[in-house]
Amino acid sequence: MLGGPQYTRDRCVTGIHGLDEITRGGIPYGATVLIGGTCGSGKTTLTMEFLVHGAQMGEACAYFAATEPSVKLLENIRQYTFFDMEMVDKGLINVFDMDVVYSWLGLTKATFDRDDINSLVKAITDIVNTIGVTRLVIDSVTTLCYKIPNDQLIRDFLFTLGKTLATQGCTSFLVAEITSAGAKAHWSSFGVEEAILDGIMVMGDIDRMGHLLRFLQVVKMRGTDHSRAKYALELTPMGVMMTPMLKWGVDSS
Amino acid sequence: MGQRIKFDPEDVEFFGEIASIGSPKFDKMMKGGIPRGFTILCIGEPGAGMDLFMKQFTSVAEDPANTVLVSTSESQHEILQVFRRYEWPLDLKVRCLGEEYNEQVLEKDMEASRFRLEGFTMQDIQRLAQTRFVEEDSTDYLIAMASQITSLGPFFRCAIDNLDFFFQRNEARRVISMIRIMQAHTQLNRGVLLLSASSGSIPESVQRELSLICDIVFDFEVKMIANNFETRMVVRKFRNAPENLRVYTYRVTAEEGITPETVDRVA
Repeated sequence: MLGGPQYTRDRCVTGIHGLDEITRGGIPYGATVLIGGTCGSGKTTLTMEFLVHGAQMGEACAYFAATEPSVKLLENIRQYTFFDMEMVDKGLINVFDMDVVYSWLGLTKATFDRDDINSLVKAITDIVNTIGVTRLVIDSVTTLCYKIPNDQLIRDFLFTLGKTLATQGCTSFLVAEITSAGAKAHWSSFGVEEAILDGIMVMGDIDRMGHLLRFLQVVKMRGTDHSRAKYALELTPMGVMMTPMLKWGVDSS
Repeated sequence: MGQRIKFDPEDVEFFGEIASIGSPKFDKMMKGGIPRGFTILCIGEPGAGMDLFMKQFTSVAEDPANTVLVSTSESQHEILQVFRRYEWPLDLKVRCLGEEYNEQVLEKDMEASRFRLEGFTMQDIQRLAQTRFVEEDSTDYLIAMASQITSLGPFFRCAIDNLDFFFQRNEARRVISMIRIMQAHTQLNRGVLLLSASSGSIPESVQRELSLICDIVFDFEVKMIANNFETRMVVRKFRNAPENLRVYTYRVTAEEGITPETVDRVA
C-alpha cells in the first residue's frame, strides 16, 4: 500500500443535526443527491433546512417548488424557528415555482420533448450561473419527470442536469417521491435516477408499536465514507434532529 | 359624411324590413338591400376587396352604439385610417381581436422563445423569483366574439372580418356552433350580420355547412382580363329571393368605396 497523503474532497456542510456526522463532514461539493422519501417523511423540511444553513453562511440558494405552490410552502416552513422569511426577501434563498418557469419557457405541453428538456436544463443553469447558486433543491424531481415520456430522456435529463450543476460547484438535492421505503422498494420513482446521481438518501417511516417513526438512511454517497445505518429523524420546531436507531427497535421485516 | 338623426332604438318603422348592404347602388340592385334578420357570408380570394366591403357595411350604421366591426387581422389604427379616407363616421364600435391575440398570446410566445434562446438575465431571474402564480391566458376568442355579438340589442349591425382566425384555432364544429348561436340571435333581433372567410382556408364541407346556415352567400372573385383585374361579386344564395342571384362586377372608387359597375361592358 502506498503511503502518500490521503485526498479528501471538500465538503458542503449541510448544518443539519446528525447528517454531517453520517456523511463524515458533509456532502461532497457539487454532488447531486437524490432524497427519496414517502409522503410526510420530512423531505421538504430537510431540504429547506439545508438551504437555510447555506444562506446563513452567505451562500446563494435556489429552491424549485414543483409539488406545491411556493406560497403554501413558505407558509408551512415559516413555522419552523430555523427559517427566517427575510432570507427569501433578501434574495439569499430564491424560491421558484416550477409552474411559472414552465410558463415563461412556453413549456405548456403535457409532455416534454428533448428540446423542452434542454431548455429547462439551460434555464436552471442560467439561474445557478447568474446568481452564483451553491445550494439547490428541486422538490420534486418526480413531478418533473412525469412530464418526460421515457426512461432514456429522464436519464439524459438527470445526467445533464447533474453534470452541469457539478461543473458550477452547486450541491443539489433532488427530491423524489416514493411510495414505500422498505427493503425491497426502489429509492426513486422511475428507477433510473438512483444509478446516475452521486448520492441517495432514503426517508420513510417505521411502524414501532403503533407509532410511525421517521427515519433517514444514506444509501449511497460517492466520494465519501458514510454510515449506512438508519437514523431516527425528528421534526422539531428548530428543524431536523437525527439520532442513531437502536437495532433491536427496528422491525427487520 | 352623413348627419346622424335621432331615433328610438326599438322603433320598428325606423329600421324597417330592409337594411342597407353598405352601397346605395348595390341596395338598389338588390331591390332595396338585405332583409333584417339575415346572416350574410362573404367568401373570397385575397385582394378581392372583401375587407373594404366589411368596413363599408358597418359604415352605414343606423345606430353606431349597436354596430360592431370585429377585425381579426387589422389594428384599430389601420381601420380608422380607412374610415377617415372614405369620410365614413367614426363612432361605431371596433374590436380588434387579432391585435388582442398578438398582445396576449404572441408576445408571450416571443418572450418564451427569447428565454429559451438567450436565457434569463439577472432582472428576469429576480422577477421570476418574485412571481408566485402563472398568469393564465384563458381568453377564448371564439367565445369572446360570440358573447359580444349576442349582447347586441335589436336591429344591430355587425361584421366579422374574418372567420379564418377562428377556424385556425378551434375545431370547425365549435366555430359552426357559435355561428349558429349568432345567426339565431341575428334572426331574433332582426339584426344584420356579415361574416367573411377566405376561399380555400376552410374545408369544403365546412364551407357548405356555413352556406347552409347563412341566408345570403356572396363570392368575391378577382380575374385577370387582358392587362386589367376584374373584381366580381357573385350572389350565390339569397334566401327566399332567388331572383337576386347574379354576378356583379364592381370597382373601388374614392367616393363610394366598393360600388357595382352599372354599365355592362361590351365584349
